[in-house]
Amino acid sequence: MYRALARKMTFQSHSRVPGNAAADEMTALLAKVAADGDRDAFDTLFGFFAPRIKGYLMKIGAAADLADDLAQEAMLRVWRKAKLFDPAKASASTWIFTIARNLRIDAARRAAKPALDPDEPTLLPEHEPLADARIDVAARDERIKAAFAALPPAQYEVVHLHFVEDLTHSEIAERLDLALGTVKSRLRLAFEKIRKDLGDLVE
Amino acid sequence: MISLSNIRHHPKVETLAAYAAGNLDEARGVVIATHLTLCADCRLAVRDFESLGGACLESVEPAPMNESALASFWTRAGAQERAAGSASKRAANDFALDAAHPLASYLKRGVDAIEWRQVAPGLAQQIIPAEGYRKGVLRLLKINPGVRIPKHSHGDEELTLILRGSYAYEVGDFSPGDLADLDDSVPHSPLATGEEACICLIATSAPLRFKTLVGRVVQPFIGL
Repeated sequence: MYRALARKMTFQSHSRVPGNAAADEMTALLAKVAADGDRDAFDTLFGFFAPRIKGYLMKIGAAADLADDLAQEAMLRVWRKAKLFDPAKASASTWIFTIARNLRIDAARRAAKPALDPDEPTLLPEHEPLADARIDVAARDERIKAAFAALPPAQYEVVHLHFVEDLTHSEIAERLDLALGTVKSRLRLAFEKIRKDLGDLVE
Repeated sequence: MISLSNIRHHPKVETLAAYAAGNLDEARGVVIATHLTLCADCRLAVRDFESLGGACLESVEPAPMNESALASFWTRAGAQERAAGSASKRAANDFALDAAHPLASYLKRGVDAIEWRQVAPGLAQQIIPAEGYRKGVLRLLKINPGVRIPKHSHGDEELTLILRGSYAYEVGDFSPGDLADLDDSVPHSPLATGEEACICLIATSAPLRFKTLVGRVVQPFIGL
């Protein structure tokens, strides 16, 4: 019942984030790719996520051609690792975000250290989930997305700069010409709101 | 072996968010990732922030791919086999913290093989190379029982994860798995408590500032 409600709320009040129907469909498609390597399903995923990953990388400062190449590389990781995807543990956008994030960290490390040891530890492994108690991932992700979309513009902006443009707290302060404390308190308020909305989903 | 339920001190929420955003320097990332191997609550919080990252990714304005991108993608994917699935069934509460990923990949020979460099009586350290593209310093510090670190504060953030032994200071008692997340300018001076040496993993993004003469004498040796 909650899910239906959350979906309705998202559709009614916000256009900043695509509706949950699209996101649910992506998760179902990725599950199909995971199960039997469905290429048609993957083409649809590519059509949705590759341009967004490219946009994400360009926001961080990658030139268009490099961003295109890295977005393909990210989707290649998605394709190769698809069997590891478990819809009970993450939605497609959460999982693909971690892949794109790790790829951009790797790319930045390679740029900073051209002779990177191939055995260099990967800092942020795509999840090799530990044996946690099961949580209702779909419900959590829907609430997080709805809470994100419903944030007041000032909080939405700092969250977006932090997660999409990879700006640190002090870089956000500089960009928006705000005190560092203001940036931190906006982020904290945003995180508190999101966590409050998850309150009764505690396992 | 360390039990989950003993963890009393955790990273701040905004530190976990920065980790999920991919925004921490490598040194602090390693400290958080190591704490996460042990702490289910923080893992859940990071998962939620990654989900927020997913929502952000969906909201990014799409940049159209080059016309040939999909075709070129399938060429690259070629005949490459997809990775076989093997999700870990490893229990979260049954391993030594200093052997946990990802710390173990930085300490290939383990904590016991470290050649400690004495920096002051009862105080030894080892710098771990973890220079990412953001500046940060990662080190292991070994504090002998009864030894107190000279009073210091930080211009920026410090993360300290206890791997072995225990220490205590104004904020409370810290045991293996506990993490001190300090961005304050409040000087602190931890004391190694208990029978064995306290080994901790420390990430700093700015030099420590010692408050006492002893500290200022020690500082050049610690190499900050």
